[in-house]
Amino acid sequence: MSTKSVRSWMPPIPRPLERLFNSVPLLTYDANELPARAQSSTASDIPTLYVFSTEEDARKGLPSFNPKCLKWQTFLKLSKIPFNIIPSTNHASPTSQLPFLLPARKPSPTASKPPGGIEPIPSSKLEDWVLSQKQKDQASPEKQDEKFHPRQEAYQSLLDVPLRNSWLYTLYLDPTNSNLVEKLYIHPSSSSLWIRATLRHQLRRAAESAILTTTHSVSSGGPLKGFAHGVVHPDEIYRSAKEALEALAYELSIDNRGAEGNTGWFFGATEPGLFDAEVFAYVYLMVRFFSRPESAEGEKESGEEETKLWLGDLVRQAGNGELVGHMNRILELTWPDLVVRDA
Amino acid sequence: MLELYVWGPAFGLPSIDAECLGTIAYFTETLDETEYQLIQSSPSAVPTHHLPALHDPARNTWTSGFSAITAHIQSRNAQQQYRYSKKVQADSTAYKAFLTDQATPLISLSLYVSSANWAATTRPAYSKILPFPLPWTEPTAIRAAMSARAADLKLSSLDTDAEAEKAEAAAKADPSWVHVPESIKKSMAQRRKNAVREKLTPEERSRIRLEGVTAEVLDVLVGALASKEEDEKEVYGKEEDSDELPEETTTLEFRCLAFGYLALMLLPEVPRPWLREIMEAKYPGLCDFAREFAGGRYGILGTGHSTERKLPWAEVKNTKSEGLSTTARQGHTLSGVLTRYVQGLVRIIPLVGEEGSRWWTQRRAGAVRTPTTTESQALVAMRKANKDLVWMTTGGLSLAGITAGLFYLYQGLLPFGAPVQTWRAPVSIGLTGLGAAGAMFAGVDDHLI
Repeated sequence: MSTKSVRSWMPPIPRPLERLFNSVPLLTYDANELPARAQSSTASDIPTLYVFSTEEDARKGLPSFNPKCLKWQTFLKLSKIPFNIIPSTNHASPTSQLPFLLPARKPSPTASKPPGGIEPIPSSKLEDWVLSQKQKDQASPEKQDEKFHPRQEAYQSLLDVPLRNSWLYTLYLDPTNSNLVEKLYIHPSSSSLWIRATLRHQLRRAAESAILTTTHSVSSGGPLKGFAHGVVHPDEIYRSAKEALEALAYELSIDNRGAEGNTGWFFGATEPGLFDAEVFAYVYLMVRFFSRPESAEGEKESGEEETKLWLGDLVRQAGNGELVGHMNRILELTWPDLVVRDA
Repeated sequence: MLELYVWGPAFGLPSIDAECLGTIAYFTETLDETEYQLIQSSPSAVPTHHLPALHDPARNTWTSGFSAITAHIQSRNAQQQYRYSKKVQADSTAYKAFLTDQATPLISLSLYVSSANWAATTRPAYSKILPFPLPWTEPTAIRAAMSARAADLKLSSLDTDAEAEKAEAAAKADPSWVHVPESIKKSMAQRRKNAVREKLTPEERSRIRLEGVTAEVLDVLVGALASKEEDEKEVYGKEEDSDELPEETTTLEFRCLAFGYLALMLLPEVPRPWLREIMEAKYPGLCDFAREFAGGRYGILGTGHSTERKLPWAEVKNTKSEGLSTTARQGHTLSGVLTRYVQGLVRIIPLVGEEGSRWWTQRRAGAVRTPTTTESQALVAMRKANKDLVWMTTGGLSLAGITAGLFYLYQGLLPFGAPVQTWRAPVSIGLTGLGAAGAMFAGVDDHLI
């Protein structure tokens, strides 16, 4: 018998247990088809974007609290494509990443045709989809002058590394913001104490390893692979975030177009693009969640308070407030009610 | 005197790591040799767990990472700070972020993921710069981490070891019950070898992808480093040699960092030099930049050039070396190296090792001063870490106890219905054991006693 050939240090399995295992064959069933009503409740006549959001915000179409989701939400709004918002989680996404978009149901004459013809679009392909929609709408498909901008590529890295890391650190790893994480991500997911604790742990670890892999050339996270551990240095994260925000603010303030002057958008574009949407997503969320509370400012000016850095303040202080101006310009185009008016 | 901890020299360059290389270049440019010392190290020896790391013994602070260190040096020599226009500063910030974000995966593909290059060049280089038992633990960890950086590029086929392992696992998991003997399989494979594809190395097979990936990164750098050709005539350069310098359209920090990355792409002698071939064919400007920076003007490279500078390496092994703080020597004594080795081993233990090493690194990092934390904060962190230690030990011990208990319980379970059963005749000692004869004398022993 096979058990005899393998000499193992493990004691033999007791017979009753072995019989039990033998009588339970491993068999994986195919996934069930979605019930027909699922299609009608998810697909609609206009596209649906699945994002991190609360039920109420989603109904009103308010901004998502996740930078990546907000980026695409803003981009779709700027592209003037009507869409619905449904609050969701990573587990619902086919690529296990939010956001993803479910295109509009096709008005097909064969209503009896079984549903399932609509493929969800992951965020990596959303830009192409938006461009194709735009070209469909306009009779004359104007080709976007997709010129290669080395500077734009470089500035993109500013968003991907320092700004993203500062966001991840502040939200997930800074213990003073743990209430916010609970409220935004953990409580809506589950009511079970155990699941919440696991989720909290996973989120923190994921954020930590994301920061470490981008800042350190040598370190990694993840089970079994995590040989070399690094340490997250908050000073360094905030310092590079400040530097990045200064650079972005400066890029906004100069006029790249020469004769036409400053357009108010990045890289002298005539209308806001994807890069603007992404900057807006970070800037808006930092100002919204991590601004110094008004009341505390007057009362507590003790040394303890001073050491805490507020990302929202970094945004306001960068350059001459160009980033807040940029944020408000985008808000006026997308959510005019939310424009921040402060000194 | 400042202490700069870096990865040791390799490939004829002062360091094997791009950021360390950039930092060394920056130090040779801005500081005098007497102001700092270079200490060959590895991340496990410094409390920040990241190289390059700068220890300022005067203030007892630790700084790690290229841009943090350059910022620290700038704050020391404040007059150098405003040499550049805002535009140059903003652009250079962006390009520096771009380098760390995008150029690292390229180096990782060339030196770490590619099995041939790793085995022939990179691993021997690490073995040379690490003290004895450490080459057993650390290089593999670094390779795993670097491969993770390049995972997004989806070019793991360069790692032929991993590919072979994967194929083996797939063959094992193959549910087909027609079992083809190994010998037949081999001859079949031999016949298939005639195909062109089989004759190519993985690097040659994915050459087009590699060229695309390289171009994405280097095109941007060409734009950054060659922007001197644009007619921006503002001069922000240093006065002393601005006549031969091109107009400074990038900051010194960016150029140093770019040198670090480009040199590691270009200069190592690897058996599969696809990256160098692509660079030499398409980006001669970048090659010139890296070579000039390394050999000619800056003389960092050990080329025997007349302007070559001697780098102030510290002799760590010599325990009597002067001017080195105790922390510098701590990680490099025999016991220090052994501790690092054991830590490396602990990390590999599944489940427990992960958390254990995480805790350990954080404990060490929390106990040192960074420029913004105070002594008291470090002390608080230390105390918290100590409390964690108690919890971890208790938890670990009880877990081990429970596991051992369960194991013995399981082992003690009777193998129900064992196929062989033995009966033994009761063994009785004394006269009754002798059968009938014994019975005859049964009464005797009563009298004897």
